[in-house]
Amino acid sequence: MKEIEDFLRENKPAVKNNPTFILEARRRMEAVEGIKAEVDRQHKRGRVALIIALVAGLVVGVVATAIAFLYPVDPQSVGEGVWQSVRLFLQNYRQYLLLPVAVLAMLLALVLSRKGVLAS
Amino acid sequence: MTEERFIREVREQQEPLRRFLLALCSGDGALADDIAQDALVRAYVASGSFLGLSKFSTWLFRIAYNCYIDHCRKPKREEVPVDAALSIASGDASDKAFRYQQLYQALDKLPEKEKAAIALFYFEDKNIKEISAILEMPQGTVKYQLSMGRNHLKQHIQL
Repeated sequence: MKEIEDFLRENKPAVKNNPTFILEARRRMEAVEGIKAEVDRQHKRGRVALIIALVAGLVVGVVATAIAFLYPVDPQSVGEGVWQSVRLFLQNYRQYLLLPVAVLAMLLALVLSRKGVLAS
Repeated sequence: MTEERFIREVREQQEPLRRFLLALCSGDGALADDIAQDALVRAYVASGSFLGLSKFSTWLFRIAYNCYIDHCRKPKREEVPVDAALSIASGDASDKAFRYQQLYQALDKLPEKEKAAIALFYFEDKNIKEISAILEMPQGTVKYQLSMGRNHLKQHIQL
């Protein structure tokens, strides 16, 4: 096996000198400049959407935690069945029901902006 | 990444990149250069997404390998026989040329992954970790491909 390894190391393929290689590469790069600009724009938009999603997640998490601490649910109610819990939950938090709707709207806006629906 | 910096990096990597593709194309220099140009264009378009998490050469070689795989999947138009490839790679009929002919004929018989692993390890002196990143396969699989490639080459190369 050593012989085959030596053979490979001693016989690396020889690349012929091609002075026009870089010139040709430059020419092709200039030809796709418009495509590159569009791809860069999409990357930038994706990064902005990601940052917005992170910030939105953080804010929603903080708000949800604050609500949980400020308006604790009676542990006794958990044992009274699922529907009872749901009813109590809606009673306790009815003023915040719009929050998940707003979060869903934000997420939808993010998804649409990434797909370019809102931008076009 | 600016165009100037990209060109500077490409200037440094052009010879290893072309040699890697030359090995993959079994000595067909024209085809290797064509795939290299295609890879450079793709890399340039995607250069905004290069974050520097890996080496530029690793990133560029991965794109080049993907271009080569895309080329292999296309319907074949005109095959350049390995004997013809010899005349492209080397004009004289020296001992060196004979060894190149042997090498290219043997490489031509290898599966793509084995050929790529062999080319990166022995011709480009890349380590297993880099090859793993370029070929997008686990390090254990790279070692297996190298071992299989060596065994297959041994059957086709007379030493």
